Amino acid sequence: MNIAEKRGGLRGWLDRRYQLSPLLEFLQHKEVPLGSHWMGWYYLGGVTMFFFIVQVVTGVLLLMYYQPGEATAYESIRFLTTKVPFGWLIRSVHSWSAHLMIISLVLHMFSTMMLKAYRPPREITWVSGFFLFLLTMGFGFSGYLLPWNKLAYFATTVGTNIVRSIPLLGDWLLQVLRGGQDVTINTLYRFFAAHVVILPLGFVAVIALHILLIQRQGMAPPLGAKVAPRGMKFFPSFALRDLLLWLACLMILAALAVFLPYGPGIPGMDWELGQKADPLAPAYPGIKPEWYFLWEYQLLKEFPPHLFGLEGPQVCLFVIGILFAIWAVIPWLDRRAYRDRSSPAFSDLAWAALLFLTYLTLMGWDIGANGAIEGVAAMEKVARVCAWWTLAAGLLIALVRYLRYNHRWFLFSGAALFQAVLHGLLGVSYLLAGTVSLGLAILGIAILNFTGSSPDKRRAN
Amino acid sequence: MRPLLVIASLVQFAVVAQGFAATHPTLPSLLAATDKDGKPIITQEERTYYDGLNENLKDLFNQVVQKQIVTRPEHLGMLLSLQLRPQKMELLLKNNCVLCHSDSEIQTPEDLFSLSPKTNQTPGHMNLKDLVEDIHFQAGLSCAGCHGGDPAADFGHEFVKQWPEKDRTKNRAWVVEFCARCHSDPALMHQFNAALPTDQLAKFKESPHGVLLLVKHDDRAPTCISCHGVHGIRPAKDPQSKVYAQRVPETCGTCHANPKTMAGFTLADGSPLPTTQLAEFKASVHGRALLERADLGAPACNDCHGNHAALPPGVASVSRSCSICHSTNASLFDGSKHKQAFNEHNWAECSKCHGNHAIAKTSDSMLSTKVGGLCGDCHRQFANDHPQCIDTANHFHDTITSMDQARENFIATSEKLAQRGLDVEPIENQLTEITDTLKKSRTYIHSFSQSTFQQAAAPGQEAVKQTGGLVEKARQEYKSRQVGLAVSIAWIGLLMLAVYLKLRQLEK
Repeated sequence: MNIAEKRGGLRGWLDRRYQLSPLLEFLQHKEVPLGSHWMGWYYLGGVTMFFFIVQVVTGVLLLMYYQPGEATAYESIRFLTTKVPFGWLIRSVHSWSAHLMIISLVLHMFSTMMLKAYRPPREITWVSGFFLFLLTMGFGFSGYLLPWNKLAYFATTVGTNIVRSIPLLGDWLLQVLRGGQDVTINTLYRFFAAHVVILPLGFVAVIALHILLIQRQGMAPPLGAKVAPRGMKFFPSFALRDLLLWLACLMILAALAVFLPYGPGIPGMDWELGQKADPLAPAYPGIKPEWYFLWEYQLLKEFPPHLFGLEGPQVCLFVIGILFAIWAVIPWLDRRAYRDRSSPAFSDLAWAALLFLTYLTLMGWDIGANGAIEGVAAMEKVARVCAWWTLAAGLLIALVRYLRYNHRWFLFSGAALFQAVLHGLLGVSYLLAGTVSLGLAILGIAILNFTGSSPDKRRAN
Repeated sequence: MRPLLVIASLVQFAVVAQGFAATHPTLPSLLAATDKDGKPIITQEERTYYDGLNENLKDLFNQVVQKQIVTRPEHLGMLLSLQLRPQKMELLLKNNCVLCHSDSEIQTPEDLFSLSPKTNQTPGHMNLKDLVEDIHFQAGLSCAGCHGGDPAADFGHEFVKQWPEKDRTKNRAWVVEFCARCHSDPALMHQFNAALPTDQLAKFKESPHGVLLLVKHDDRAPTCISCHGVHGIRPAKDPQSKVYAQRVPETCGTCHANPKTMAGFTLADGSPLPTTQLAEFKASVHGRALLERADLGAPACNDCHGNHAALPPGVASVSRSCSICHSTNASLFDGSKHKQAFNEHNWAECSKCHGNHAIAKTSDSMLSTKVGGLCGDCHRQFANDHPQCIDTANHFHDTITSMDQARENFIATSEKLAQRGLDVEPIENQLTEITDTLKKSRTYIHSFSQSTFQQAAAPGQEAVKQTGGLVEKARQEYKSRQVGLAVSIAWIGLLMLAVYLKLRQLEK
């Protein structure tokens, strides 16, 4: 007979039925490892979850007024934001929190990548996190259409059109996605169902697994230390720190929602309601997706209409698919981290991915176009300006990594920068520049392996 | 004898036919002809056009070649290069006059229909491209309709001399009568265009142009063809017509903007007739609307001065023609005290304040009673003994400028409030009311009566008051949002402090 059976009160009552003691015991002794890296990275997952909780709460409040329908979707949002007390606040917080959630999720993902927290036994945590990332993109895309305004309508038309490029299934998938040939009110119903039922169900299931795994296995200790040298009690020390940060996030969220109710005024991060969607109106030039889809949008533009006997967008989707697949199985690709050794190549790969995304996103934003968005000259100018920015950022990052963190492995990030230079500054086509850079990186790795200058011998992250 | 004769003539025919076939090109040979470098003379485009023609047209081409009206591949190529629609091509191929007169080998430059008259030194009216677009040509009135002769005859110049042989280019008075043979005949014109008036000549005779031509016999006077052209006459609604609304100013300006042509003509007061009208009109509100914005509702010369007659129908003088469009302003003016005063001074009405050809966009500063303001300047000179008029002008000026200023301010404020996420729909509704009232008030100035003006302006003044209240309300709302935020932040801050203190206590 254990102690719990003797205990009285509510806790004893619950304990006798559900055997909570072992669980509480576990939680009481759970520790967060403290190591060589900044502890702040451990909070990013929690912050992302906080924004998700805000999304659920504000989403439910929006749902109380939102009425999907041809004559009601736009009108109900308009009514909510202009007439309902605090309606404007709910919508503003929901939109801000969505963008901040994506930012913190991406930061969380990249910090996990840099710290190699995906190494065994945490591979499934990484994969589940990757699926959460995809689901979040889905939330963003489906939620965008719901106000049924002009901008959302055309962005959705352009966005769903990409699906058509999928071989064999493309046309069928497009029909499934749109609920017909074109974006109509049927599309809105589908997106609404996806946004408030299908995606949340999936998200809750995956996030439950993600959190369960983290709680069960604990947070990843620093690389090379099987047992953390020092630890911090999860309850209450870490949890209270989490709470502190969440409160700070809430504060920032409230201030942003009041002072910038329609976003920071950056294209792709703007949710002013504007005019109601009109399927008969002509699409206007300069339709851009949300900022987190800009890199895909730009990559699609960089592909020629036909390549290797396939349509350009098909090849592009194929390339994006491969990149995503590589990203998803990184825990199994990174053999060095698998053996709990430093793997500078994969740290550099993460930086290369960031630079790759930065260059495409900046171009998608028409940085440097000064208003002119059409024409070859304008595109070349944009590519040039963006290449300079990417190069400056990349060199600065490399310098800091070299001096501050003693990094010596720069083949992937170097290749990403080289591609930007070839394409933006020397006018080589984007795909050719990418192929050349990738080829050079592979050649470099081959030479490194051949000469045996293994990064093992050097101190790296 | 008779069988012999028949045989003889058959033999003769066969010989002639054989000779014909031997010495004269056929259509296929013309189509396939090459120049001395071996390059085909008929271009690929012309050939494609020919291949796309129906059998009837191909047969017509064959006939004109057989009849030796078209004998050279260059001539055939020129006809094909027109790329005419089948109906027009049929008209052209049945018109031997034009076919013969478009062959540069056998015509002198002044008798040649050319594709580019200016470079070929042929007269401007001998433009083949214009001719095939001519409304008369398309309606079946071809060369013979005016020049006489038989266009179906293989060769015939026995044209009826319809107009004076001598001095017909110097004394052109006959032209108007000539056109009027058809255009003044209602029964005839009804067959072609029932909506076309037939009183042009009657009106023209009464007009200054008509008097100049028919009574004074001045060779500078215009005739029908001066404005409508000769061989390329198009309906007035055709944008390429010389009398299409947007081209009218230039057409009139051909003479009226030319100081040489206009030398010696005077206005009613004896002063020389100016030639600056075209330049003034182009810079005016009407000219810019018509020529730059392509607003066909804006008037061209003829809308005020009339077409064939001196004045548009139902208008007593040119200065009254403004009322055709600006009817409210005109009727308000007619009921005002100014009407009588202007009559006493014998002033043209609208143009006295607004000008005529150079009408500029009106401005509220015209109402100013200070020096330089239209109201003030005029009243000081002509009606200095009416202080109540100055009061009225001041009232107009102040009411309108203050309402306009308020509107500008509200628009700027509304934009700012909208950016802050506040509901500006009620403000925008009031702004629409203010904008409408401003427009109406500016029109009601022409009553020159305070009470009439005030009826129009009152709703706007009320809307300004209402908007002020709405703006204030929105500002309060924004302020309360900020206060709410500050309170929330304070609460969250307190909570954070509590968590922080608890953490410190735990970790001590």
